[in-house]
Amino acid sequence: MSCTADTHCITCSDEGVPMRVVTALEDGLARCEADGAESDVMIDLVGAVSPGDDLLVHAGVALARLA
Amino acid sequence: MKYVDEYRDAELGRVLSGEIMATVEPGREYKIMEVCGGHTHTIYKYGVDDLLPANVELVHGPGCPVCVIPMGRVDDGIAVAHVPGVIFTCFGDMMRVPGGSGTLLDAKAQGADVRMVYSPLDALRIARENPDREVVFFAVGFETTAPSTALTLKRAKAEGISNFTCFSNHVTIVPPLRALLESPDLRLDGFIGPGHVSTVVGARPFEFIPADYGKPVVISGFEPLDLLQSVYMVLRQLVEGRCEVENQYARVVPQDGNPAALAVLEEVFELRPHFEWRGLGFISHSGLKLSEAYRDLDAELRFEVPGVRVADPKACQCGEVLKGVIKPWECKVFGTACTPERPIGTCMVSSEGACAAYYNYGRFAREREVV
Amino acid sequence: MSETTTRESEALALIERVRARPAKFKDAQITMAHGAGGKATQTLVTGLFLPAFGGEALRELGDAGIVEGLALTTDSFVVKPIRFPGGSIGELAVNGTVNDLAVAGARPLVLTLSFVLEEGLSADDLRAEVEAIAAAAAAAGVEIVAGDTKVVERGRCDSMYVTTTGLGKLDPRASLSTGALEPGDRILVSGTIGEHGTAVMLARGEFELEAPVESDTRSLWPAVDALLEAAGPSLRCLRDATRGGVASALNELAQASAVAMVVREAAVPVRPPVAGACEILGIDPMYVANEGVLVAFVAPEAADDALAALTSAPGCEAAAEIGEVKTDPPGMVLVETAFGGRRVMDLLVGDPLPRIC
Repeated sequence: MSCTADTHCITCSDEGVPMRVVTALEDGLARCEADGAESDVMIDLVGAVSPGDDLLVHAGVALARLA
Repeated sequence: MKYVDEYRDAELGRVLSGEIMATVEPGREYKIMEVCGGHTHTIYKYGVDDLLPANVELVHGPGCPVCVIPMGRVDDGIAVAHVPGVIFTCFGDMMRVPGGSGTLLDAKAQGADVRMVYSPLDALRIARENPDREVVFFAVGFETTAPSTALTLKRAKAEGISNFTCFSNHVTIVPPLRALLESPDLRLDGFIGPGHVSTVVGARPFEFIPADYGKPVVISGFEPLDLLQSVYMVLRQLVEGRCEVENQYARVVPQDGNPAALAVLEEVFELRPHFEWRGLGFISHSGLKLSEAYRDLDAELRFEVPGVRVADPKACQCGEVLKGVIKPWECKVFGTACTPERPIGTCMVSSEGACAAYYNYGRFAREREVV
Repeated sequence: MSETTTRESEALALIERVRARPAKFKDAQITMAHGAGGKATQTLVTGLFLPAFGGEALRELGDAGIVEGLALTTDSFVVKPIRFPGGSIGELAVNGTVNDLAVAGARPLVLTLSFVLEEGLSADDLRAEVEAIAAAAAAAGVEIVAGDTKVVERGRCDSMYVTTTGLGKLDPRASLSTGALEPGDRILVSGTIGEHGTAVMLARGEFELEAPVESDTRSLWPAVDALLEAAGPSLRCLRDATRGGVASALNELAQASAVAMVVREAAVPVRPPVAGACEILGIDPMYVANEGVLVAFVAPEAADDALAALTSAPGCEAAAEIGEVKTDPPGMVLVETAFGGRRVMDLLVGDPLPRIC
């Protein structure tokens, strides 16, 4: 994969994706979704989460809660 | 999603644009630097430039952690990738960064097992699924991304995964900003502060910019309206004679950052005495390496890396572009020897790089009628 | 906006000259980028293949070669994994080739079918693909008339590679050409974009990401038929937006006709799960491969009728008008963002999604 005009690496460009918690999992992870696309996110940095919480996710980690 | 749509509202954009036009003093030039690759991307993706008056210029600073990795470090990565049995994982942007003689993509074409991941957790999973292979994660990024690496390393250590190591090229945001501000040839009026680094480190680390250098800073979100509003806030500071750090992105950025993130960084990483930045030379205490407690997960200790310093190509003026001293098209090799297909310097490799962004998008930021 | 300085104008002019030049093939080795359908692929085609054996038909660089009223096309399918939500390699092999004929304005008639099979491939997997091929061919109304089978050692191909060649008869209603676009022409897209490439990427399971996305593989002949009927000679050109997505198709045609294009971002139909997955992966859906979407260029007087006809074709309910052809700057595709700014939408340089078709 190359990073060009057509794609940009979200991780390298410091972008965060807003995601909503679907369900909390074990081991400091939570299942989150953005427009129906789901992935597992590390929540060690934002504390316990509940379904419906909105998080800012970067490189697989939730960095902040979205009010 | 709700957040994203609100902030992209074109109507509000036009209103803000009008307020900016009304605020600027005619005949005065304003140069505002944004230091975050994500901000550059938003500006170009949405054409935010088109909503600014002619005398307000946005300058792209060294905010792309891929842009600033020196060739020698890329060569080190390629050397590790070629070690038999290694699965070398990295983010997409890294694949095309030129080292002394080729990129990781070239190494892949030559047979190295180089795989793209979107998060260090993907790399850890590859290590779990391939217990007989050595998996190396080439970590890049500012304080935004370092926590992700740190948490992954913590998990690896807790699970006792012995075939996973990290090659750390994480860098910190404040030292290069200070180095920039020390440059005698720098002509800037204000800064748009990085939005997501601040979620980790908070707004306070940027206070030195108004305090020591007299330039206003506004920490900005990533939607086009955020950027427009932040530009407006910088201009207001300049016009009103104020000079401070303002947090436009307060809905996400806590003033003191994220203590849990800072703690995990403290545990897993330590500052290198100095680290080389492409085009900017050596900057002290600007790079992160794994701490003593995490020695066993340090790829630089597990593998023999050449560690040779490769000088930037003479023709490359990335340093000056990064400092905002010259514009991309003012570089002697821009568009000729250095293009997105054949980049010399990293400003052209990553789409967040000032030169690639300008080459691909920026030509039509100028008033040019499509007939 | 400030005026461009002389130095900047020189640099801009230089970039445009470089873009206009036919690419030379100077790479020392093949990389994945050469298979992506973007700039590297183009360099291979225009810099190596055309000089070696490019005649008049090939130089059109259309989706099919036209010779004496017949259209001929070929495609190889190397998708990994061979089965994914919404389809499989067999289905792609039929529909992909049928579509290349259809967008050339030719009614698909017959296909040939070649297999390269991996030693160790299970008979059940092969049977499943053979059945998928039979079903897709029946649905598309084409007959398979010749074939070939080879087997290679374990590890030399991922389960199977499939190559199809298609023959079609040029429809008398069609007068399509890649060089026929005129300023004022309207740009239509036949459905939601980005589904196939996203579905395959997610099916690979390399990233911890799941989304309800399926491949959109389908025969586009019904859509083409409807367009030809509604717009006839006002239909300038069609292109199926496979590798490299809608963005690549638009760029290729802008270059071939030496026209500019403006795309209204807000008008491009994208389903939320595709947008969400692409956002997480940092990919623009405009560059993601489709297997059941075409772009159509229609003269303005027939555009509304053409769109109405298109939306009534199966799978094309979400068809939309997304932009317009302009005069200047030639060869460029610009996007009007939902925010009110503008940006350039260029040809791919790298390969964001390898092995998706």
